[in-house]
Amino acid sequence: MAIVTALTGPFPRSEALVAATRDLDRGRTTTAAVDALVERAEAEISGHESRLGLGIHSGGYLAWADLFRPFSESWRGFTVGPVTRWFETNTFYRQPILHAPPERVEGAIARHLPPSARADPPRAKVTLPGPFTFSGLLENRSGETREALTHRMGRLLGEEVRSLLASGFTTFQFQEPLLVVERPTGPLAEAAVEAYRSIQTAAPSAATLVWTFFADAAPTFDLLGRLPVGGVGIDLSETDPERIPESLSGRGVGLGVIDPRTTLREDPEVVARIARDLSKRLHPSTLWLGAGAPLDLLPYEPAVRKIELLGQVRERLALSGTAA
Amino acid sequence: MSARLFPTQEIGSLAKPRWQIQGQHSTPLDERARAEFGRWNDLLHFADAGDPAVHAIVGGNGAAVDPAEFRRLGALFGLRYFETAGLDRVYDGEARRIEMYEYPIRQMHGFDFQGHVRSFDNKYYLKAAVTGEVRLDHPYHVDEFDFVREHARASPKLPITGPYTLAEWSYNEHYLGKQTGWKGREARRRAQREFVVDIARKAIRPTLAKLIEHGCRIIQIDEPAAGTHPEEAALVAEGFNAATEGLDAVFSMHICFSDYRSLLPALLEAKACKQWAWEFANRDGPERDGYEILRLFREYGDDREIGLGVLDVHRDEIETPEVVADRIRRAAHHLGDPSKIWVNPDCGLRTRSLDVAWKKLASLVEGAKRARAEFAGRAA
Repeated sequence: MAIVTALTGPFPRSEALVAATRDLDRGRTTTAAVDALVERAEAEISGHESRLGLGIHSGGYLAWADLFRPFSESWRGFTVGPVTRWFETNTFYRQPILHAPPERVEGAIARHLPPSARADPPRAKVTLPGPFTFSGLLENRSGETREALTHRMGRLLGEEVRSLLASGFTTFQFQEPLLVVERPTGPLAEAAVEAYRSIQTAAPSAATLVWTFFADAAPTFDLLGRLPVGGVGIDLSETDPERIPESLSGRGVGLGVIDPRTTLREDPEVVARIARDLSKRLHPSTLWLGAGAPLDLLPYEPAVRKIELLGQVRERLALSGTAA
Repeated sequence: MSARLFPTQEIGSLAKPRWQIQGQHSTPLDERARAEFGRWNDLLHFADAGDPAVHAIVGGNGAAVDPAEFRRLGALFGLRYFETAGLDRVYDGEARRIEMYEYPIRQMHGFDFQGHVRSFDNKYYLKAAVTGEVRLDHPYHVDEFDFVREHARASPKLPITGPYTLAEWSYNEHYLGKQTGWKGREARRRAQREFVVDIARKAIRPTLAKLIEHGCRIIQIDEPAAGTHPEEAALVAEGFNAATEGLDAVFSMHICFSDYRSLLPALLEAKACKQWAWEFANRDGPERDGYEILRLFREYGDDREIGLGVLDVHRDEIETPEVVADRIRRAAHHLGDPSKIWVNPDCGLRTRSLDVAWKKLASLVEGAKRARAEFAGRAA
């Protein structure tokens, strides 16, 4: 079994970057100056990832205003809509409004990826909205049913993954909080499966991971087990690890072991024990360890302190012989 | 209820003028700041020529007077800004506050600031962790209210951040740390309840009591975090009740950017709340569908006043008076009783420039006037 420690989604902006982006809004600095600072800050995050021995880098996604913005601003069919609450958090996103069946624009998303990821694609994990969450959280004025749109998003994201694969990227994480929050059944659940089948068909060699958070995954395990992806990530702040079922045996399993809703630091001994127990029970092909939900729910310094956990847990697992 | 239809009110903060920011940082005031001061003073006549802060502004020397003098002048500016715009209920644009979370938390013990968290786009807030028992250092907003009461020409309304929002926007170390075992959702809920009720009883309530003692009659409890965890709507109400029960004032609750449907009916248990002042314009479209949710109040038999958000505070586009009037019409239709409606921006206007906010408020006042004339004509 391989153990991969990696960050999940966007990283918080540093206090310096917070100040710079505020200044940008107030006309006190330039876009070029902020872009340069973003690039340096993303390099710093990559530095943390290297220091902690994280095998896969995220780069932090500091320039992304929210999970959907690069898509709603660059793919055809969208406008950027109202400020909308991001699940049960005090952060918000601008809801994409879809006026017609969406069309991807070749190369647009690649240009939004962090420079550190673009510089070393094989070591980068590309974080994308999952097709179910994307189609479920936008305002759909396209005339398509939710099911058809979910499937279409899968096809478009599949094309995106294929295009990024051609650029050297290999690992893709789809953010799918809505799968566990909404718990789809019937045709909508089938549409989610079909969407991921489209991604798999378009890019069979891609390493794909579906990451769920913000709700207990237990009621959705049957559906998660049917998704044709390399692994499924579970937010342990919401889901009791003992409830992760045998049906996920033998495939990749992600454990969201850092809770970004609290500044309290997790105990590496407890987390290592959970990881060991789960490994013995499910024999996952790969055990991913990361944050339960995007770390940008924390300020920068507490996030830097909390990700130390990943290195500490990996060390403990290696000492106990859990890692292959 | 108000004596006339569709009275107007502010809902919170204004952008701070450049001269106030530079002045309170004791830096030299640049030409833009001085010009901005002159332009607004010509319009609002808020500054007295003998005021030391005015001398400092005109002389371009921010260090010439105590920074507090600029905040005081900023408060007067905010008051006159809202009054001259034509609003019936006003405050000072929260000119003396840093923002709605950090300021009250700094008046309490038991908190440790951790850094900034993004709210959306390039908007952030400083977030603290509660690391010990909540304790009030001293009742806050009292001096600023005294100043407003002394200088207001329109009816003053004090906004104060509610207990649920202060708790929800903090990291819960102390109360969650007391929970044993796996700190999942249930443990977080128990810790959250203890935290909310503690803030309400130990910090907000004594502050409200002191404000009322100083003559504060109309108080808006801001709970923008109310919609964060819909299953905690009852806790929002519990915190509101713990803070206000038995106190003699008119209380309203401001909520924004939430799924209101998910909060009802549990939120209606906030017994002392006389008005729901909520954001609607942000979610409104050409079909005027942002106001349909108001039907729920009829369905639940809740006949309290509505503070109707008619201005989107996150866009520079100026709503026309006709759009404002149409939003009022639609809301009156859904509520079935126009007399319950107060008209206000969705939320505080601090994210807009003073010029944009001014134009938006002018539309609000004119739109309310048109709707008022129309409904008065119907009644006749």
